[in-house]
Amino acid sequence: MSAAGAAPAMTSPPGLSVRVRKVAGQPVIAVRVWLGGGARVEAIPGQALITGRMLAEGTRRRDWRTLAEEIEARGMLLGTWGSFETHGVALDALAGDWETALEWAAEVALEPTFPEDRCRWLTRQAAGELESLGDQPEVRTAWGFLEQLYAPHRRALPLHGTAASLAALTPADCAAFHRPGRRRAIIAVAGEIDEAAVAARVGELFAGAGAEPSPEPEPPAPRGSGEARRTVTLPLPHRDEGGEGGGDADGQAHLYLGHLTVGRSHPDHEALELLAVILGAGSGLAGRIPTAVRERAGLAYSAIAQTVAGAGLDPGRLVAYAATSPATLDRAETLMREEIARLLDHGVTDAELEEARGYLLGRDPFSRETARQWADLLAQSEHYGLPFDDPAWRRRRLEAPDRTAVEAAARRHVRPDELVVTVGVPASLA
Amino acid sequence: MKRMAGRARRRPGRPKGAERRWRGPRSESAAAAVATAGTVPAVPALPGTAEVIRLPNGLTAALLDNPQAPLVTTVLWYRAGSRDEPAGHGGVAHFLEHMMFKGSARYGPGEIDRRTQALGGSNNAFTDHDGTAYWFSFARDRWREALAIEADRMAGLALDPEAVDSERRVILEEIAMFEADPWDSLHQAVAAELFDGHPYGRPVLGTRRELKATGAPELAAFHRERYRPDGAVLVVAGDLDGGRGGAAAVAVEEALGGLSAGAAPGTPAPRARFPDRLRRLVRRRGEVGRLTLALPAPAGGAPDHAPLGMLIEILASGRASRLNRALVDEGQLAVWADGDLSDSLDSGSVVFSFELLPGVEPERAEAALLAELAALAGPGAPRPPTDAEIDRARRVVVADWVFAHERIHQQALAAAHSLAFFDDLERPRRELARALAAGRDALSEVAARWISPERGAVLAWSLPREEG
Repeated sequence: MSAAGAAPAMTSPPGLSVRVRKVAGQPVIAVRVWLGGGARVEAIPGQALITGRMLAEGTRRRDWRTLAEEIEARGMLLGTWGSFETHGVALDALAGDWETALEWAAEVALEPTFPEDRCRWLTRQAAGELESLGDQPEVRTAWGFLEQLYAPHRRALPLHGTAASLAALTPADCAAFHRPGRRRAIIAVAGEIDEAAVAARVGELFAGAGAEPSPEPEPPAPRGSGEARRTVTLPLPHRDEGGEGGGDADGQAHLYLGHLTVGRSHPDHEALELLAVILGAGSGLAGRIPTAVRERAGLAYSAIAQTVAGAGLDPGRLVAYAATSPATLDRAETLMREEIARLLDHGVTDAELEEARGYLLGRDPFSRETARQWADLLAQSEHYGLPFDDPAWRRRRLEAPDRTAVEAAARRHVRPDELVVTVGVPASLA
Repeated sequence: MKRMAGRARRRPGRPKGAERRWRGPRSESAAAAVATAGTVPAVPALPGTAEVIRLPNGLTAALLDNPQAPLVTTVLWYRAGSRDEPAGHGGVAHFLEHMMFKGSARYGPGEIDRRTQALGGSNNAFTDHDGTAYWFSFARDRWREALAIEADRMAGLALDPEAVDSERRVILEEIAMFEADPWDSLHQAVAAELFDGHPYGRPVLGTRRELKATGAPELAAFHRERYRPDGAVLVVAGDLDGGRGGAAAVAVEEALGGLSAGAAPGTPAPRARFPDRLRRLVRRRGEVGRLTLALPAPAGGAPDHAPLGMLIEILASGRASRLNRALVDEGQLAVWADGDLSDSLDSGSVVFSFELLPGVEPERAEAALLAELAALAGPGAPRPPTDAEIDRARRVVVADWVFAHERIHQQALAAAHSLAFFDDLERPRRELARALAAGRDALSEVAARWISPERGAVLAWSLPREEG
């Protein structure tokens, strides 16, 4: 069982944060290297994603084949990634391989060579992924919704960017993106480990990372596209034309409705999390929107709601989503709007609030169960400057808001008259 | 995280065989599983103790006491899936799964979710061809509520006709969602071709027509005949504060011991009429090329099942795998490629899939896939598994075993599947040992028996619609 309380931060050079935690359980070590720079500050859409992926495509010591063979020969799992806020390395291994895991994570994070042929391949592969994602109705609708909310911020586009921006990326672009990222590095390690030995080895291996970081440039603030409503045309359903079809077989419409709220570090974040559970982000179908749309009206299989979806350095969003028949789309939208408005008109009940609080407090141990979860929590704590890894801190933040405070947060951040709508409808009905 | 060749991840679907691996006795340290090159790694184990109890009413329960986290997961797995459905009412097993949350004697409509939420827990359920599973996860001091809920809804359901109608509409939307998903719809089309005459070829959700013909009487009958203690297994896993004769065993007996036995026997399915040649299916859907090749595979309990799993590792697990090299990282024909072996009561399937890179001719990618299979398993097999590949696969399956059992929830689901369908808590560990023991010759023999598309398989393409 993991010890309670926050894992100590190690003394590190400026620009380098190191967190190490022993987690008993399975004999696993999880290593996370978060490097500064994500898509929110990239110059070319897709640059962060491809830079992150290129980390596994060759180092000064090994090409991609040798890396893959040697890592898999030890049963390790290597993932390299680029997200909206960071890029980096995740390496999971059996605990007995802890030192090798640290050495290889450092090699991949700090010594990439960005080979030309691999860059060409990865950008083609990412363009293929983008096309595949766009072939999924809910994803295509979500893209329209995010553009409506976030333009001109980078989150208005998919992480992949566009086919054209991917085609324009070069190894030099990746190297240029990675270089300043190394100066803002977070190393988080958790597992069945000797904390002191791991910390000492991390200090040696990452001595070349970190520096007095220059601040990241700030992306343009998300203002939205100005459209109150957008319709996206979807691919036709994938069922067989010779199938039974019938009156319900016109395919499905996808409905997103929402507006921007707050970032992860905002003091109202936890109050909004409580509201999210009341609205439909909790267990099963207990929230107001799933109850209204699915349980009472039977309009949708998927009906969910959130208030801080995607909240990070940039604002998250209030979002209600349902997939329903085109014939019942209007009714679903009406029900969702009514439930959001009711939050402000009638507030929340004490019973609802305590249920939501009980849910979030009860779920907390499930996010601290494994070495991999702990490593991610440690990295997030450093990234946002908040002690997510400390369960007592989390408890205090969730226990603090009473009904008055939650309703006040709703009045500050829930704006029914500013909801924007994206509807994805099958091509046959568009 | 499942190892795949390539980067894109498909949307997670219903639990598959790959998620149903499990563990064994907890006496041996998993750290000892690490071995030097060329040796067979030991089968890892998990901490804690396991006890199986059988109540007089026929309920089999396993108590897995593992205090690694202050959590408990319960899984109640009924041996009642879509294979057991009466003719004309396909989808009734899955429909009933939905109705299990819509009202019983002590829990009104929606109350199970609200109660779960208030206690800080989570719950869900899923149906497949062989059975239906319900799970709850709670903190260690409140998990007994799960037993109270399960006992109440096993004893009887409200099945209010209005609620039945409303839930039918929800499932019709679920079918629409399934049809709109490119991979779900392609896999269903392939299953229908591969498992001709066998329930595995039918959609778990049923068809629209069947759903409209299914109401409260059919749901009640399926519940009455199948949802009995002797037709189910229960697993309680986590921080139980002592297993044998302890409070957990007493709680299980108190909650579920009073229910009446009488489950209908399992339904023997007719043998599938597998294709005797490579059968082709081409659909024009969506905007991306997608291929699935499905071959018959041994049932989960068959001797060839575990070695065949090793072959799938060699072929399709990770960047160093053969299909990744041929199709993705070196061949640069596909965005990703994947292989999967089902773990089912009757003969199942091996499925290879990939998503075509834009601009690549489908014929080229298909030929590359078939060439890799022929090299491994075809006549004369020019490239049988090498010692290095077998060594890599062994290490990967051992590590994946450990990674896949980090969470109590995963441990509980794996144990419940094993107990429900193989009546053997040790079965996954035996399967893993059998996989690790398979050497070059054994793997070559298994490959020749099962990985030969020309002897019978379904190869399906979903290709972009033709303009105009």
